[in-house]
Amino acid sequence: MQQRFLTISLCVLAVLASNMASASGDISAGKQKAQVCAACHGADGNPSDPQYPRLAGQYADYLAQALHEYKDGERKNAIMAGMAAPLTDQDIENVTAYFSSLPGKLSDLHGKVQGGD
Amino acid sequence: MIRWLSPGCLLFASICVAPLAAAATVPATASTAAPAASAAATAPAATTSSAAYNAPAIVGNAAAGRSKVYTCHGCHGIPGYDNAYPNYHVPRIAGQNQKYLMDALHDYQSGNRSHPTMDAQAESLSDQDIADIAAYLSSFAKQ
Repeated sequence: MQQRFLTISLCVLAVLASNMASASGDISAGKQKAQVCAACHGADGNPSDPQYPRLAGQYADYLAQALHEYKDGERKNAIMAGMAAPLTDQDIENVTAYFSSLPGKLSDLHGKVQGGD
Repeated sequence: MIRWLSPGCLLFASICVAPLAAAATVPATASTAAPAASAAATAPAATTSSAAYNAPAIVGNAAAGRSKVYTCHGCHGIPGYDNAYPNYHVPRIAGQNQKYLMDALHDYQSGNRSHPTMDAQAESLSDQDIADIAAYLSSFAKQ
């Protein structure tokens, strides 16, 4: 009985720890680190040039996935590979938390689809 | 000798070489090298992710795009929806920039970027479909 309780509480702690690890972005540190991004992505994460994606208001974990893919070469883009290469995992958490916090024009497709919803 | 193999030099060299390798038909000159060196200071004029295809001048029709995004809604229409694997949110795409959306879908087709579901979705799209979808989705930024 006691061993079972111990096992369950260890599992709960592990789940909580993993959740905390993914939500540890420091927005103010991210803002500092993200200054180089403004040249293409706009100072507020909303670029005027339509070839660069809007980052403002995007899900932080999706942005982090994208930066990891640029860094690892899974996404092939010479410019972004260079931008992502010097970022540590914590830098990625910080800049993505920053861009995610900015007001933007991005939304999901709920209510925007003909024939459904 | 070792100095030339330092990470900074290798990174710089790879940034110089990558766009030259992509533009295989263009003779290599000093003016086409090192786009990343100027990227931090000014917005570069050309994107390298779409260098693999030469798109004819297709005009996207937002009204046609509205009927084409129905399948997208299944994943991109649920607020806060996570991919089952890997575990991250399906990105918000309404209001995203038009050219970026087109480049992304073409990159899924060409393999420049990969995701199992998106690879399959993009494979079924024509260039006109992609233009229409991008025109419709980007129109939400103007509202």
